Amino acid sequence: MDPWVVLLGWALAIPVIALAIFRLDRRVDERTVPFMAILAAGIFVAQMLNFPVGGGTTGHLIGATLAVVLLGLNGAIVVMTAILVIQCLVFGDGGLTALGLNLLNMAVIAPLVAYGVLRALKGHEGAAVPVASWASVFLASLACGLMLSASYVISDGAFGIIGSVAIPAMAGWHAVIAIGEAVITSGVVLFLKRVAPEMLEINGPEEAGA
Amino acid sequence: MSRRGCLKAAMVVLLLFAIGLVGYFALSAGSPDGLERVMEDNGVEEGDQLWSAPLDYGGDWGTAFVAGLIGFALTFGAVYLYLKVYLKGGSARRKA
Repeated sequence: MDPWVVLLGWALAIPVIALAIFRLDRRVDERTVPFMAILAAGIFVAQMLNFPVGGGTTGHLIGATLAVVLLGLNGAIVVMTAILVIQCLVFGDGGLTALGLNLLNMAVIAPLVAYGVLRALKGHEGAAVPVASWASVFLASLACGLMLSASYVISDGAFGIIGSVAIPAMAGWHAVIAIGEAVITSGVVLFLKRVAPEMLEINGPEEAGA
Repeated sequence: MSRRGCLKAAMVVLLLFAIGLVGYFALSAGSPDGLERVMEDNGVEEGDQLWSAPLDYGGDWGTAFVAGLIGFALTFGAVYLYLKVYLKGGSARRKA
């Protein structure tokens, strides 16, 4: 990645995450702390499990939509940030410089898209979660494709991938991977609705107040 | 959520992970994910790492499961501690 694109990633991601942390502070209560921590840990292990999508490529869950459904937007941003930082620092998944862009895509863009779709489709129970999951992955991958293309242009081809290749390739693979995200997220949400409906209500006040 | 509920949820997540790993090694291990595939197809190499991480995700069922356990515990601990400390600060501020 081009250094300028890296800097831009950090510059965009940090204020949003800081705002989410600030706003979360006013919402979180003693009761939800262990639940948030378990969910974060669960999403961490879920991200390790790749599933094949054909053509010798695999995909794995991002989990942003699941986090938004269960914790609201601010909670999801904070949880996704924690997961990505640990993946980067402890497991070397994604370099330190790329962390800003990864945060922007998976801890900011993906939860924002999921939140937007969930709100827009409020009342359409069956469609909201799968559509939000699919869109969050697809748009985050599109953003990643744009970053790769921007790197290519700014660095005169030294970094990144030319846009005419990067954007369709990222979008193409992730349109399929996003179906996996939609199926898994919907499955988990339906399951929780059945066995532990109170979990889906934790973010109620935040949604109403947001 | 009660302490018991949390413990149960953690056990369920880890059990599903243990089972999921079997599928992962049967079907997906070694294949690139979406981003890695695009990078590979276009011959983009990752640059030198500024930071070398102490652990990786493991190469077989056992090591990957241990990596998952460590990641689960670390993520749980980090979010839990952070929120606890933050809550303490928050309630102190509200009282002040």
